[in-house]
Amino acid sequence: MNEFSVLVVDDEDDFRETFVKRLKRRNLDVSGVESGEKALELLDENPFDVVILDVKMPGMDGVDVLREMKKKRPLTEVIMLTGHASVESGIEGMKLGAFDYIMKPADINELMDKMRQAYERKSIHEEKIRQAKMKELTD
Amino acid sequence: MAKKGRHSYRGLRQYITIILFVAAAIPMAVTGGSIYYEYRASIREKVTTQLEGIVIFHKESIERFLEEITAAMMVTTQLKPFDKTVQSDVLQEVFNSLQRQYKHAFGDIGVIDSKATHLAYIGAYDLLGKNYSDAPWFKEVMEKRVFVSDVFLGFRRLPHLIVAVRQGDGKNSWILRATVDAARFGSVVENVRLGHTGQAFIVNKEGYYQTRPRTGGYVMEKSEPGDLELKPFDGVNFWEVQGKKGQKVLRAKTWMKDNNWLLVVQQDVDEAFAELYTTRNAAILMFILGGILVAVVTFFTTRLLVRKIERADEEKSVLDEQLIQSQKLASVGKLSAGIAHEINNPLAIIGEEAGWMQDLLKRDSLKGLREMDDFKDSLREIAQQAGRCKEITHKLLSFARKMKSVIKDVNINELVEDVIGMVGRDAALSNIKIVREYNAHLPLMYSDPSQLRQVFLNVINNARDAIEGGGEIKIETGIGEGDTISIKISDTGPGIPKANMGKIFDPFYTTKPPGKGTGLGLSICHGIIEKLGGDISVASDVGKGTTFTINLPLELKRGGI
Repeated sequence: MNEFSVLVVDDEDDFRETFVKRLKRRNLDVSGVESGEKALELLDENPFDVVILDVKMPGMDGVDVLREMKKKRPLTEVIMLTGHASVESGIEGMKLGAFDYIMKPADINELMDKMRQAYERKSIHEEKIRQAKMKELTD
Repeated sequence: MAKKGRHSYRGLRQYITIILFVAAAIPMAVTGGSIYYEYRASIREKVTTQLEGIVIFHKESIERFLEEITAAMMVTTQLKPFDKTVQSDVLQEVFNSLQRQYKHAFGDIGVIDSKATHLAYIGAYDLLGKNYSDAPWFKEVMEKRVFVSDVFLGFRRLPHLIVAVRQGDGKNSWILRATVDAARFGSVVENVRLGHTGQAFIVNKEGYYQTRPRTGGYVMEKSEPGDLELKPFDGVNFWEVQGKKGQKVLRAKTWMKDNNWLLVVQQDVDEAFAELYTTRNAAILMFILGGILVAVVTFFTTRLLVRKIERADEEKSVLDEQLIQSQKLASVGKLSAGIAHEINNPLAIIGEEAGWMQDLLKRDSLKGLREMDDFKDSLREIAQQAGRCKEITHKLLSFARKMKSVIKDVNINELVEDVIGMVGRDAALSNIKIVREYNAHLPLMYSDPSQLRQVFLNVINNARDAIEGGGEIKIETGIGEGDTISIKISDTGPGIPKANMGKIFDPFYTTKPPGKGTGLGLSICHGIIEKLGGDISVASDVGKGTTFTINLPLELKRGGI
């Protein structure tokens, strides 16, 4: 059984593919796309738990994608993947509701920890919402 | 290089000296010269006016003297008829009366008839009965009624002049003739004195002296040929001639007595212009003194100027060096940021691929692989080195990072305290004591706190790393020179050898073992402090410790970052 579902958004193909393979190996339900536009399309169909989002991409950049994602799926947790020169965009992402940011090249274990924490937070949110709904029904 | 520099300063000094001197001396010379010439012209005018005045005055007085005498004799001939005057007692009376009137100017007097025979005579010589029909003066007086002769010697061998007037016409005419003592007549002009060399004399149109010149010459002597211009002219003329002793002589001349006599008034130019020469000498002296003053002022001004230029050049070369240093840092920063950015992605891929291979090795199907341990070691090494590279690229990126500066009021003491809070626990663990010497009255400064925090963190971390086995880090804050705040961070570490002092702000220079430091920390600090308008310097004693001093302006200058 997969732990949770993850979407990796990065325009660097080699990096993304290997990264996806490794995450899959860690029993995650992982998909990878190469652009923000595709990620948003995919998000319409599948409610991913966690999104790993590269900031520097051609077309829509990470911050814009994040903004759209938060509109579509407010509960999906996003971890920003930044180059060091764009710490500011990481900070901006956090302000927009990203769960955390991590610098490239990323350590897989560190990233796994962050993703688990993000998933936990999402679960807690969902649980709270479920309980609130139940309360609404029972009351 | 230094020699060449000094040489060019000498050239500059000569150049400025000459320009300044010429610029000061030319107006001085022009002013002095024009004043001198103006003055000379006015003196000359004054002298010539004076001489002209004397000439005219004496001309008039001589002419008046002669006119008066002729007039008096004319009156006498009209009052006393011929037959009366011929009587010797009457002639004596006339002579006495004339002598009284003209202060004994007359030598003798006589009456001559129309046939030129001396009929009556009063005087010292025996001239009665003498006939003058051949004498030029007789012909002249018969023609013109009145005759005044030049000075001549005559029978008596003494200079005299004749005054003769005719009365009546034709056969009834008779002549009253008197002689005037030349010495008596000459005294009128001979007494003219102008200083030591001034004099007046008269020559006739043949150039014979009619009065005695004071310097050389006698009455009736001929003046040196060519000495006097004897052509008649109107009014007063001036000549400058060479005198007998070689001196220059200024002469004023005028013709009188119907262009028969030339009255000359002369004075040595040296004497006439004595006043001018005194002034000229004073002017020359002043000019020389002024020149010396100008030269001295020029010399010192130039020296001062060139020394200022030299100092400015020195300062400039120091600034240039600093500028080159910071430009070097900036370009290294730009270059390395570009490279770091490009390398980051391949690094990420290398890391991922190595990680993936590590993952694969965990598969059951690969268990029992003979070289399993070798593979694992290699991959771990690859991952580890990729990680090291990552650290370097991240540092490089922060070296060149253009963070948006947030400039606001900063309390340096609080800011330093924040940083100590971050490193304090680590320091305590390494047996390092942190000593604070804050100036409690520091003003707030206007700067970028987050960048400053980075700088202090870096320097304090370096200090901590330098100290092994316990020691002390002292942090002092205070007011520096000008409107600056100074922060000194000292440690009791081993110090920095002199040979390395020049390199410590260079990028990639590090004393730490590979993997421990990138050598970018201090160059980043240097860049930040410069951007904030301050400076950072280091002093170190090997064996005693190192002190970093950071000076920061209270207000950011250069229009911010």
